[in-house]
Amino acid sequence: MMIEVSHISKSFVSPKKYPGLKGAIKGLFSTEKIEKKAVDDISFSIKEGEIVGYIGSNGAGKSTTIKMMTGILSPTEGNCLVNGVDPNKKRKENAKNIGVVFGQRTQLWWDLPLSESFTILKEIYDVCDEDYAERMEFLNRVLELQEFFDRPVRTLSLGQRMRADLGAALLHNPRVLYLDEPTIGLDLVVKENIREAIKEINAKYKTTVILTTHDIGDIEELCSRIIIIDQGKKIYDGSLQKLKDLYGAKRTVSMEVRNYNQKKLANLWETLGVKEEDYETEYDKEQRILSVAFDKNKIHVPEILTAVMSQMEVKDVQIEETQLEDIVKQIYHSGVK
Amino acid sequence: MRTCKRYMRLYRVLITQFLKGIMQSKVDFLMGLLGFFFTQFMGIAFLYLVFRQVPSLQGWTLEQLIFIYGFAQIPRGIDHLLTDNIWLIAWRMVLSGDFDRYMLRPMNLFFQVIAEKLQPDALGELLVGGILLVISLQKGIVIVDGVHMVLFFVSVMAGALIYTAIKLFFASLSFWVKISGPFLQTAYEMADFAKYPTEIYHRAIRFVITWIIPFAFVAYLPASFFLKAEVSPGIIGIECIMAVVLFSIAYVVFTIGTRRYESAGN
Repeated sequence: MMIEVSHISKSFVSPKKYPGLKGAIKGLFSTEKIEKKAVDDISFSIKEGEIVGYIGSNGAGKSTTIKMMTGILSPTEGNCLVNGVDPNKKRKENAKNIGVVFGQRTQLWWDLPLSESFTILKEIYDVCDEDYAERMEFLNRVLELQEFFDRPVRTLSLGQRMRADLGAALLHNPRVLYLDEPTIGLDLVVKENIREAIKEINAKYKTTVILTTHDIGDIEELCSRIIIIDQGKKIYDGSLQKLKDLYGAKRTVSMEVRNYNQKKLANLWETLGVKEEDYETEYDKEQRILSVAFDKNKIHVPEILTAVMSQMEVKDVQIEETQLEDIVKQIYHSGVK
Repeated sequence: MRTCKRYMRLYRVLITQFLKGIMQSKVDFLMGLLGFFFTQFMGIAFLYLVFRQVPSLQGWTLEQLIFIYGFAQIPRGIDHLLTDNIWLIAWRMVLSGDFDRYMLRPMNLFFQVIAEKLQPDALGELLVGGILLVISLQKGIVIVDGVHMVLFFVSVMAGALIYTAIKLFFASLSFWVKISGPFLQTAYEMADFAKYPTEIYHRAIRFVITWIIPFAFVAYLPASFFLKAEVSPGIIGIECIMAVVLFSIAYVVFTIGTRRYESAGN
C-alpha cells in the first residue's frame, strides 16, 4: 500500500465567542472552548499508481485530511503512513516522497524567473544532473514550461502558474502527488492540458495521485476511484461506476412527438405493467417534447420507445444519464443510501 | 557532517536567490539603509545632548557610554541581518497559513525561516557599531590584549544568539495565539534599556533585563569587561551559558509549536 490512513481525526479548539461588544468582553474572561471536529475517524488505503478523487463540499474536511497526510498538521487521533513513513513523526523524510500543489497558493519564488525556482528545488531535493535533465525534458513536453521559463513567476497567468507549480512539485519524482483544487479558475483548454499532464505523469512514473476538486470533469476524466467525505466523515469509497450504479439508476428519455395524447399514454403504461411510482412523465407543449424519467433497473429504454412509437409519431430521441454532479449534490443533501 | 555541508550549500543557494530578488528593488534597499542611519544618528545625538547637562552617569564618562552604545549595536546588527524573517512568524505566517510551505520541504524548519532572508537594514547598525568601536579604540579607553580580543568575538556571537533566542521564543508563541507580534515587539524593545549602564534603572527593571529578558548580557555587562580591568572574564562565560540555555529553550518551544501548527482555511 502506498498510503494507509487509519482512524484519523483532527479537532480544532477555539475560544467560545459571544455576539456584540458585551460578548467580546465576556469572551475575554471566559475559558469556554468550542471543539470542532474537522475530520472524524477516517480510514482508507490507496495502492501505488491509483488516482483518487477526494471530494466533499466546502468545509467537509478535505484539506485537513490532505494536510495531515503531507505532514503540515498533526492528527488529534489516529495516524497515517505514506510510503511507509509517518508524516507526523518524520516530516522531512516524508517531504522527499511527496509533491504538493495547492491551487490557491504557489510554492514558487514569486519575484524570480521560473527557471530559478527549478534551480533551487534541484538543490533542495538533491536531484542529480542526469535525473534533472531527464525530468525537465519530460516536464517540458507535457507542461510546455519553456514558453515562460525565463519569466518572473509573478508575471505568469493563472494557467501558466498552475503548470509551473505542477512541474515544480514533480521535479524530484515524488511517489505521491497531492493536488488541492488543481484546476480551480482555469479555462477549459488549460484544464484539459493539466488533466492530460496528470494522466501522463501517472502512467510514466506510476505516481499515486490524490486530488481534491469541485470540478466533476476532473473526476470523470482522471479518477478510477473516489472518496467522498461530509462533515468530517467518510461517506463513500469506491469506483466511479459503482457510485453511478447506486445513485445514477435514473434515466431520462426525451422524445419530440406529434399528436400527443395523454390518455393513450396512460393506458400504455398499464399494458406494459409499469407501476406509477417508477416513472415520471412531463410534456412540454411548446417544444412538443415528452420526457420520461425512469429507473433503468425496472424499465428498459426499448420498451418505452416501442410503446410510445406505437401510439405517436416520434421525430427525435435523446437519452440522458444522471450526471455525477447531480449524484454528488444528492449525496450532500440527503446523505448516503 | 554531510548534513552540515548540505545545509551550508542550501544556505548559499537560498540567500543568493533572495539577493537576486531584492536587487530588483534598489529603492527599497537604499531607503531602509537610510532610515537606519537616521535612527542611529538620533540615538547618538541623544547621548551628547544628555551629557551636555551631566558630565558623567553613575561613574561612566561620555566616551565610555559611547563605547557601550556602539558595542550594543554589533550583536544586534548581526542578529538583525541574519534572522529578521522570524518577525514574519510572529505577525503573519502562522495566521495566514504561509508556514505550510516550510512544512512541505525536506529541510529543518528553523533553517528555512532564517535562510529565506537577509536584512540589509542591519548594515546601518553594524556600520555605526563599527565606527563607534574604532573611535573608542583611538581614544584608548578599550582594553586591547589577546584575551580581550578573542573574548570580544565570542561575546558578539553569544550576544547575537541571545537576540535570536529571544526573538524565536516570542515568535513561537504565535503557534498558540496566532499573532505574537505585540509580545515580540515589547520584548525586543527592552533591548533599548541595555544600551546604557543598567545601574541607572530601578531594581525591578534591572532584574528583568539581566535575568529574564537578558539584554544586559548582550550590551552593558560584556561592554564593561572591555572597559574596566577589574571586571572578570567570567561575565563573558555567563553570557555564553545564557545564550546556549536561552536558545535551547526557544528552540524547544518553537519545535513544540510547529507540532501544534493549525494552518489556515478548512
